Amino acid sequence: MRRVFAIAVNTFRETIRDRVLGVIVLFALGMIIASLWLASISLNQQARMMKDFGLVAVTFFGLVVAVFVAASLVHKEVEKRTVFVLFSKPVGRTEFIWGKFLGLAATMLVVLAGMGLFLFLLTLVVAKQASGWLLVATALIYLQLLVVMAVTVFFSTVTSAILASVLGISVFVAGQLSHNVLSLSRLGSGVALKAASWIVYVLIPNLSAVDIKPTVVGEASASWASIAAWAGYLVAYIVVVVLAASWVFRRKEF
Amino acid sequence: MAETTREHATRDVLVVDELHKTVAVGFRRRKVEILKGVTFTVHEGDVFGLLGPNGAGKTTALKTVIGLMRPTSGTIELNVAGLGELGYLPENPYFYDYLSGSEFLELCGRLFGLRAGTLADRVAELLRDVGLEEARDVQLRKYSKGMLQRIGIAQALINDPRLVLLDEPMTGLDPVGRVEVKAIIESLRVRGKTVLFNSHILADVAELCTRIAIMRAGVVIWSGPVGDALAAGDGDLERFFMQVVTA
Repeated sequence: MRRVFAIAVNTFRETIRDRVLGVIVLFALGMIIASLWLASISLNQQARMMKDFGLVAVTFFGLVVAVFVAASLVHKEVEKRTVFVLFSKPVGRTEFIWGKFLGLAATMLVVLAGMGLFLFLLTLVVAKQASGWLLVATALIYLQLLVVMAVTVFFSTVTSAILASVLGISVFVAGQLSHNVLSLSRLGSGVALKAASWIVYVLIPNLSAVDIKPTVVGEASASWASIAAWAGYLVAYIVVVVLAASWVFRRKEF
Repeated sequence: MAETTREHATRDVLVVDELHKTVAVGFRRRKVEILKGVTFTVHEGDVFGLLGPNGAGKTTALKTVIGLMRPTSGTIELNVAGLGELGYLPENPYFYDYLSGSEFLELCGRLFGLRAGTLADRVAELLRDVGLEEARDVQLRKYSKGMLQRIGIAQALINDPRLVLLDEPMTGLDPVGRVEVKAIIESLRVRGKTVLFNSHILADVAELCTRIAIMRAGVVIWSGPVGDALAAGDGDLERFFMQVVTA
């Protein structure tokens, strides 16, 4: 556990000091500020536009960081041969993968917390309509991005960094639509179609289940029980995917 | 350094016997046998030089010993308490750009389970030994090649290992860097450590090593005391090396 912590701290330091990360976060803050302009041209919907556009900006830039950093996280270590140094010490492959993942998760926590708080304060000061749901929505975006990171790390152990990035983004998009797969299966009558739909539904994380933007803008109400249940499902999904990545990585030679 | 001036115990720290390694390369996964029965023994207190032309299998042999690769067949007998008593410097080392020298060594120490107090002392001691005290807070991306090589050696020694494996520790260094790295290896010998290193720089090997093994095309074609090699080459290790690899 201490070795996992040491690798996680190192990963956090490495990623948080990377200038590219700073540039992306600055862009994200710029986009959130741009929501002020959109709000100003919307009729009586200022607060709603700010929250909606702001959360989309948080998601988009969070996704950029999650996918591109996660894809290169393990790959860079192998490519630049820093794994030679780590695995010549009593470090297990599973410890390495968990350490890298948790370190990046800590970096993402700082990035998402920064963007979420900035959006919250902006909404509070400008529109005077900030709600706690905005922060809950940011936390759930963080959870969605952790899933995408886990999947991207998994793909990066079996393929190139670029392909892992593409697959990570694909899983994010598919995760927003996975509930539609189940709906479609109800339209057909074939057993094979239903079985295939269920398999796709189980394999692809249902990210839209924790998307509470409608609640944030006052269009719907969210239930805490439902949020907790789906959050638990996504955490379990992350654990399974990271363990799968560890299993694949254990078989590698350098 | 003459073999006769060296006194070392004959306990074997590393015994490599009939080591084979085959890897699959390319899209068609073509099998290539890199190691074809490598056999050599490193005694405690040895400074052992593993020599050979490019592609002889030296780096693969070291990687297999350290566990980065799995042997296809053959045995590796390591008479040390696992990786905890082993230090390793990879060839052309690359470390984390955004960590400072001391942060990197602290990370390596933590991976060996060193406690905070002991670790701080150990890091300070190693930075002093490799001459990087001044650069302890400088990020590694700003280090020169020689400085990276020295921090690489420091990380290999963080756990005070009994056996130190150095893959091409002198490659790419300027004369000053080479002298510094040689001094570090010599100090390890004085402290009774066992050192196994690869090198193409035969003058350094003649100066530092007690015993050598010469590899060609995946097999060891000669091994023995460096004094014997020097005697057979009329005092010139390069001449002996050429005789052996071209025979």
